[in-house]
Amino acid sequence: MTSDIMVSSERVSMRFSLGIEKGFSVKQWFVNLGKKEGRARQDFYALRDVSFTIRRGEVVGLVGSNGAGKSTLLKLVAGVMKPSLGSVRCGGRVCPMIELGAGFDLQLTARENIYLNGAIMGYPRAFLRERFDAIVDFSELRDFLDVPVQNFSSGMVARLAFSIATQIEPEILIVDEILSVGDAAFQQKSEEKMLSLIGGGTTVLFVSHSVEQIRKLCSRALWLDHGELRADGKSDEICAQYLAAVGF
Amino acid sequence: MIRALSSAAQKYTFLLRELIERDFKVKYKRSALGMLWSLLYPVMMMAVMALVFQNVFRFTTAGVSYLSYLMTGLTLFNYFSEASNLAMSSVVANSALIRKVYMPKYIFPLSKCLFVGINFLLTLLPLYAVILLTGTGLCWQHLLLPFDWLCLLSFTLGMGLLLSAAAVFLRDLFYIYSIVLTIWTYLTPIMYDLSAIGNRTLIALMKLNPLYQYIAFARTVILYHATPQPRQFLACFLSAALFLLVGAFVFRKRQDQFLYYL
Repeated sequence: MTSDIMVSSERVSMRFSLGIEKGFSVKQWFVNLGKKEGRARQDFYALRDVSFTIRRGEVVGLVGSNGAGKSTLLKLVAGVMKPSLGSVRCGGRVCPMIELGAGFDLQLTARENIYLNGAIMGYPRAFLRERFDAIVDFSELRDFLDVPVQNFSSGMVARLAFSIATQIEPEILIVDEILSVGDAAFQQKSEEKMLSLIGGGTTVLFVSHSVEQIRKLCSRALWLDHGELRADGKSDEICAQYLAAVGF
Repeated sequence: MIRALSSAAQKYTFLLRELIERDFKVKYKRSALGMLWSLLYPVMMMAVMALVFQNVFRFTTAGVSYLSYLMTGLTLFNYFSEASNLAMSSVVANSALIRKVYMPKYIFPLSKCLFVGINFLLTLLPLYAVILLTGTGLCWQHLLLPFDWLCLLSFTLGMGLLLSAAAVFLRDLFYIYSIVLTIWTYLTPIMYDLSAIGNRTLIALMKLNPLYQYIAFARTVILYHATPQPRQFLACFLSAALFLLVGAFVFRKRQDQFLYYL
């Protein structure tokens, strides 16, 4: 793999077994005893044989309808899941902006959560110390630094999470929808921040339901259809094809 | 392999530290008595148990202080029961995180075992207070105890890894394990002496309990001021290593499947 290739996906398939019972318990086992029919062992392919490579600095959009496997693909690249078949390799530090604030502990204060959440996102301690003020300033929550996050409004929590997540210049940025959070003013600010991150020369893998955004921001697009890579090419062309297929 | 391990260790020490710190803050920050509770709890447990077993059931330990005897067993067993319990639920409790962010999953049971381990060091204060106040006294062999504690930690971590992986697939393990723990409490000679049991096969079986080995090791030092036998060192070390290896192996083997079940 040359150093120029930042993400490479080779014949990746992701299989989910729909027969899996989450939260299975002994109690459930007894309940199931009473039922005659065996559970159907159904397999579902969220992704099937998907291959592509992304070079350094490319901004790639993912289009496709709901359930096409876009989020699954992002999670595979972020390393949260491992593919059932094939392999995904990344040539740099991945920053997944998939779910913000997942690591917050509501009982802790904003100050404590900045460190905890930063550690969860994989930032080094020194880096967090250095950026602490920038995070606080961006979130506009300086007056609430020592308040437990459980007393925050949901908008404040989102602002804090967004400010922590966007502090780094990642080598590979993974974005699931452009996030704009908080009130109108902060929405605009956060959107600008996202756009500047995407446009900042990093490698980006970007999912959006807004084809308009993908056209505007991405040079290249991948079209996923029922787990298969249907097309890969210039974003204008792919978006046009996708829209035509969906029937707009 | 070693280089990969040490770079992972470096990368995740900060996260580990933050997770442990989080547990501490949540546990102590907003309770008025704060850390005092950690110190008072074992003393109160000991007081109640001593009252019941010494006065009602007339349990005695020949030649040594019953309070020190009881407290040694309680301190070690409490570590195990609290740490293994917390470790068991740690993976399921952090499912929201595991589904969204990549991090090594063993960090959750590990952080719980270390967090309770720091708590355990606090509970050594009441233990040593009892040792001194009852006139049990100290000896140089106390310097051997950290070996015992490390074995206890490894054993508990092994159990924690095993239980936390199993709990993902079997959710009522929480209820089952709490019953198992209660039985385990009574099968471990915490408040009684093994010699009080007449049946020889039963005694031999009870000695297979790793927790018995760790407690016996500590008692040899604390109560009898003696150096434990080489076979005691061996029993502690081997049981701890075995459980840690089995726990780590099972966890490693199963961790990629967690995501489908969480």
